[in-house]
Amino acid sequence: MSIEEQDILRSAVIEFAEKNIANSAVSIERAGITDDLAAALAAQGFLGAALPAEVGGAGIDRQGYAVILKELAAYSPSVSALVLITGSVAGKLLKKDGLLGKIATGEEAFAVSLWPATDGSGDAGELKISGNRITGTRRYVIGRPGGCMAAVTDDGKLVLVKSGFTLSDEDHHLSFRGLSYSVATVESGDYEVISSNGKETMESILSGMDLEIAAIALGIARGALAKTVDYTKVRKTFEKPLKDYSTVANNISRLMSELRVAEVALQASGDLNETEILMLKTHSTDLAKRATKYSLQYHGGYGYIEDFGVEKFYRDAVGLTILLENQAADGMRLSKEVFGEKSGYL
Amino acid sequence: MDFEFPEDIVRAREKAAEFARKEISSKKALMYDRQEKFPDELKKKAFEYGIVDYTNPWSMLVTIEELCRADPGMGIAATVSLFGAEVIMLFGNDSQKASYLGAVQNGSKMMGLAVTEPGGGSDVAGIKTFARKEGSKYIINGSKMFITNGAIADFFVMLVRTSNPEDGKRHHGLSTLIVPGNLPGFSRTKITGKLGVRATNTAELVLNNVEVPADNLIGEEGKGFYYIMTFFNISRAYVAAQAIGIAQGALDRVLEYLSELQSKGASSSITEEIQMAASDIATRIEASRLLTYKAASYLFQFKPNPTITSMSKAYAAETAVFATEKALEITGYSGINGDLERFFRDAKIMEIWEGTSEIEKLIIWRNLIREARGGN
Ligand SMILES: Cc1cc2nc3c(=O)[nH]c(=O)nc-3n(C[C@H](O)[C@H](O)[C@H](O)COP(=O)(O)OP(=O)(O)OC[C@H]3O[C@@H](n4cnc5c(N)ncnc54)[C@H](O)[C@@H]3O)c2cc1C
Repeated sequence: MSIEEQDILRSAVIEFAEKNIANSAVSIERAGITDDLAAALAAQGFLGAALPAEVGGAGIDRQGYAVILKELAAYSPSVSALVLITGSVAGKLLKKDGLLGKIATGEEAFAVSLWPATDGSGDAGELKISGNRITGTRRYVIGRPGGCMAAVTDDGKLVLVKSGFTLSDEDHHLSFRGLSYSVATVESGDYEVISSNGKETMESILSGMDLEIAAIALGIARGALAKTVDYTKVRKTFEKPLKDYSTVANNISRLMSELRVAEVALQASGDLNETEILMLKTHSTDLAKRATKYSLQYHGGYGYIEDFGVEKFYRDAVGLTILLENQAADGMRLSKEVFGEKSGYL
Repeated sequence: MDFEFPEDIVRAREKAAEFARKEISSKKALMYDRQEKFPDELKKKAFEYGIVDYTNPWSMLVTIEELCRADPGMGIAATVSLFGAEVIMLFGNDSQKASYLGAVQNGSKMMGLAVTEPGGGSDVAGIKTFARKEGSKYIINGSKMFITNGAIADFFVMLVRTSNPEDGKRHHGLSTLIVPGNLPGFSRTKITGKLGVRATNTAELVLNNVEVPADNLIGEEGKGFYYIMTFFNISRAYVAAQAIGIAQGALDRVLEYLSELQSKGASSSITEEIQMAASDIATRIEASRLLTYKAASYLFQFKPNPTITSMSKAYAAETAVFATEKALEITGYSGINGDLERFFRDAKIMEIWEGTSEIEKLIIWRNLIREARGGN
């Protein structure tokens, strides 16, 4: 997608977010993404943006998809993560059939446990196939509840469980509170084995969404910093606007510079190779953490309460790197590219 | 110079740790966090156990550290019911001490310190709440924001403006009043949806023609700014202790997680980068402790050193934030599903309350340059 087309799409996403997300961002954090919002996202073509047209998706290219993820994340990282899980996980794992079509329209919910690709050492529960049934528990399931779920069994099979499981939501989880983050209890005959190399498949899903994670991270940084620029213009201490203090102005401006450079790279990502995209992701997730920390800080006490909509960015920036990527594996991938051979593993 | 604590303080630390083991669990901490509920029972037990005693400041310092190490929200809630008491202790008259201090010291009453307003917290001299003197009473109008114990305290030490400064110096004309929480015209609204320390109670206070007897004035009229700054110099050492407890609690959990990995034969996943991150956390905690104990040593010998106090508060607060973030990165799912995600949320308040990190650094600078210029 050309830069001009990206700009047009950006305006459309912002218009949508202003209308459908801006005023309900706090309630999304408290009560989750509503079915209505999922339907509105779908109607606009955002939910299934990355899915092929044959299943009712928008079949948009990677640059356009990144625009959607980034701009949505600037309003609600949870909403953006929902689009990501739909496009980059369901879209990659599932067959191009009616089920995926329903996920694209929001009619069917989809959730996934990215274990063991994200963090293999976590206690993920036990999930086994025996005969023609699948039973047990699987932790770290993230997504929209009430539909189907993808997970890897103990013996490494990637399965899609269509019914016969419950998700017990951990109601106050750290990040992406608009989605459920749950333990799945499974007792089902209604499942399908997608791949026998579950771990590898999940790993390739993760490494295949470097650009998308970069986009979400930059959206988080943009959302937090934009609020901070506005706030520090009007908030006064010692009778001067905060923005007039050099530490405040320079810290925010430097973060903005880092953000803008990364945004430019994101826009031109069609010209980047895989290594450069991984570098962009590493830079962006690190930036998101720093930008959100300063943003919360410069909001003072108001930054610490959810009504001001800054603390969620702080939580989500750190959760992004744990729930939707594997930083240790990324470090190794990056070192391998930089040194041309396996490095950084000791 | 001896870096070891005397026996009685070592015992106080052990006693606090023992209390924490008995009374604070991950499950309880999670419940109070989710429900945003003040742990009344815990606070009561802490007094019964004899570990909340601000007349013994060193014991209190290490007690706060140990309780916050177990859980920051519960640890702070259990030890914050006397917040502001030092203002009365240092500047109040005998009758005020008799009427108000005894009850908070034995845990039967709670108090709060109300300085911050919706319009600002850093700029203490900029507060707007006004107390007009009429005969033998003050009539107070205004509002206070983010007040700890706000919805549950029996009374507050409140900073108010009693006169407009004629010399243009905004920190003149401020006074401290004792304001009971149940007076007509005084409304208090609990603030929900905090990022962390959700077991503590925080509220917005609105005062609409609230009348208090003129006898409730602490010390002299017009000296309120000085009293509050003196108080912050004391309380900041305790906040540093909270922050050290949080960072130590994070390190404990990181080490527990990594030891378990080693026992499971997964040592190779503990890369050098992780090892050094753990070492960094431990080093910063130790540095925070040294600074804080130095600040406390000056303070508890009645020769406060505001530079060191501000350094200790700012550095320990940054350490808490650094430690909890690193801890989450190291422990991944295990941390995000366990205590550490709460520690991470709780830690950030350390850089905000009782003087943000920026304000501490400005205080340090002011003192440094004054000293460099020979005290002018
Ligand atoms: C949970 C909680 C409990 C609290 N409990 C109490 C309590 O019991 N009693 C009480 O009185 N208050 C309490 N507070 C308020 C707290 O002390 C204030 O939030 C804090 O002092 C900051 O004030 P502010 O929020 O108004 O931020 P502001 O003063 O508006 O500052 C906003 C940001 O700007 C920065 N800043 C300000 N001036 C400068 C400058 N010159 N240069 C660079 N940066 C600057 C600050 O560091 C901060 O990051 C509490 C707050 C919270 C969140």
